[in-house]
Amino acid sequence: MASTPIIEIRQLTKRYHQSDEPAVKKLDLKIGKGEIFGLLGPNGAGKTTTISILCSQINADEGDIFVDGKNLAADSVQIKKIIGVVPQEIALYQKLTAYENLRFFGNMYGLKGEDLKERIMSRAAAFGLEQKLHRKVNTFSGGMKRRVNLVAGILHRPRILILDEPTVGIDVQSKNVIIDYLKQLNEKEETTIVYTSHLMEEAERFCTHIAILDMGKIVTEGKPEELISGYPSCNNLEDIFLLLTGRSLRD
Amino acid sequence: MWLKFKASVIKESLLLLRDKAGLAMLFIMPMALILIMSLLQESTLKKLEERNTPVLVINNDHDSLGAHIVAGLNETEFFELHQTIDGKPLNVQQLKKLVTNGKYRVGIVIGEGASNALRNKIKYEIQQQFPPEEGALFSPPPDPDKPLPKIDVYFDPITQSAFKQAVMSALNEFFYAVEAKMVMEIYASMMNDIIGIELKQMADFKNMIDLTEKTSVGKEEKVIIPKPAQHNVPAWTIFAMFFIVIPLAGNIIKERESGMSLRLRTLPGSNLSVILGKAGVYFVVGMLQAASMLLLGMYILPLFGMAALTVGPGLPALMIITIAISLAATGYGILIGTVSTTQEQSSIFGSISVVILAALGGIWVPIFMMTETMVKISKLSPLNWGLNAYYDIFLRNEPVSGILHYALYLLAFALSCILAAWFYNRYKNSR
Ligand SMILES: Nc1ncnc2c1ncn2[C@@H]1O[C@H](COP(=O)(O)OP(=O)(O)OP(=O)(O)O)[C@@H](O)[C@H]1O
Ligand SMILES: [Mg+2]
Repeated sequence: MASTPIIEIRQLTKRYHQSDEPAVKKLDLKIGKGEIFGLLGPNGAGKTTTISILCSQINADEGDIFVDGKNLAADSVQIKKIIGVVPQEIALYQKLTAYENLRFFGNMYGLKGEDLKERIMSRAAAFGLEQKLHRKVNTFSGGMKRRVNLVAGILHRPRILILDEPTVGIDVQSKNVIIDYLKQLNEKEETTIVYTSHLMEEAERFCTHIAILDMGKIVTEGKPEELISGYPSCNNLEDIFLLLTGRSLRD
Repeated sequence: MWLKFKASVIKESLLLLRDKAGLAMLFIMPMALILIMSLLQESTLKKLEERNTPVLVINNDHDSLGAHIVAGLNETEFFELHQTIDGKPLNVQQLKKLVTNGKYRVGIVIGEGASNALRNKIKYEIQQQFPPEEGALFSPPPDPDKPLPKIDVYFDPITQSAFKQAVMSALNEFFYAVEAKMVMEIYASMMNDIIGIELKQMADFKNMIDLTEKTSVGKEEKVIIPKPAQHNVPAWTIFAMFFIVIPLAGNIIKERESGMSLRLRTLPGSNLSVILGKAGVYFVVGMLQAASMLLLGMYILPLFGMAALTVGPGLPALMIITIAISLAATGYGILIGTVSTTQEQSSIFGSISVVILAALGGIWVPIFMMTETMVKISKLSPLNWGLNAYYDIFLRNEPVSGILHYALYLLAFALSCILAAWFYNRYKNSR
């Protein structure tokens, strides 16, 4: 798919002030419109760092990011409006109910009234949350929190949805619900999805494009099936992953 | 912008309402504090001005000086004289013991022959006024070596010096009166002896000056007499309002630790409305605290037999300074929350710094009891600015113009805190 890139990352470098080695080193990456893009890599590879910069959570040291043709450094307000974020850590107010949390996030994106209510209800239904919508988040199971966390990022129908390990720590049922919903979103609304994971099998099935990150650099990228056929010794993504990133522990 | 602000206000209000411990700390604890402190102070103040302080008296004089002192002490409402214990006359040993162990706060022993000694002394002094060639005026002549009349006063050892002074000056007053009366008597009998005129009755030379206690007040000319409530309620109100620093800073740190503040950065638009929403809610809480505590002073303290806090005509001034104090406390909370890294750090640093600022500012120990250096230092505490303004309003009826400078100091403090927090955040994010 030779789609026009909706996200273009050029020479991105970020070093945290406590550490000597940069977490991301001169990283180049293009993500096409409408892709489901998997950012894979071992622990500490720099996935969250890359994504955090992309969502304006932290600032880059060097490099440029263009989203939808706009420079992130100059136009972050416009860019934030079209991005939906689902962070790796649950980011919800534990003492508020799921509904109150979602209403807060909706308001933050300028949504309100009946429209917002309708959006919350339909997405809650899709993720099996409608029964517990008015319970405090701190009474939820981990899987439920993850689903609310996800809904908070998609209320405003973002054109780009960035998810940091959305399927971590949840059961197969929840995982399937999430993956199916994201696929639907991608097909029906042409939402570009950027997603990180450690689950090679899931990524292989789900993603249209993949990049493997290690030590702050892209080690390979492409369509899953092309990648697998490009490495004759490998039968699947996991083999490629191990081949490229080694078997030693990271982080 | 408005929607984000509103959402933020709703979120913060819900979070605060669900934090029962935080609410208790913000409202119930300070109100209890005011009540307890006021009751304590009221009781010590009561002791000071207590009527009928029990006084033991041993009158060994049995003559006019002793009689005058006893009558004088009986006349004032301050003392309740006891000359016997269980119906039996007491001795000096008993008196000392009873006063030392605090059963009685004052013991007075009027020495034997005190009146005679005083008369002798007066006659001696009169004799000295006349030239020697006049010869002896009195027979028998006064004895220059006779000791002065002796009156010993014993105090309960824990008596405050203010009370001692009050008792001593009351006694001195009786002594002057008795002395003057005796001088007059002796002169009168001399007149009788020398020129044969008998004065009809003793002149009353008492109370010849009208001495009245007044309170100086501002332009309004309405006299307000300072009551404990008027010192206490403002002081503890400001203290409690500054304690908002702990929940506010805690809230900011929690938001940061839980990843919420990072998450908020991904939302479009500036975060100013979110921060304003948070600050707004805590600001309103500060105002509610002030209102509840001032109302406590006005309506609840009287139920405990204490004088009510009366708000003079200074309502606009009161509003302005209370707004300024609440803003200052909110700003300080934002700063503490921004620079502290953990909840523990912020609650320890927050509470200790507020307690220190309160102590310096005259919340714990009134300024008038401080040394001059401490008074100068106290001017550095924002709590002191608020307290002074409250005093000006409650005790001196100052109008808005009289407290405006304090309000401006407090606003400047709030602003500097917020600016400092902003710069600190920028500095940290840039790393
Ligand atoms: N706030 C931080 N301060 C200092 N170093 C950090 C910080 N966040 C991440 N790092 C370091 O940067 C590197 C990249 O971390 P990052 O979180 O981007 O990895 P990741 O690929 O998301 O890993 P994981 O799969 O475990 O989530 C790691 O070496 C990590 O220790
Ligand atoms: Mg990560």
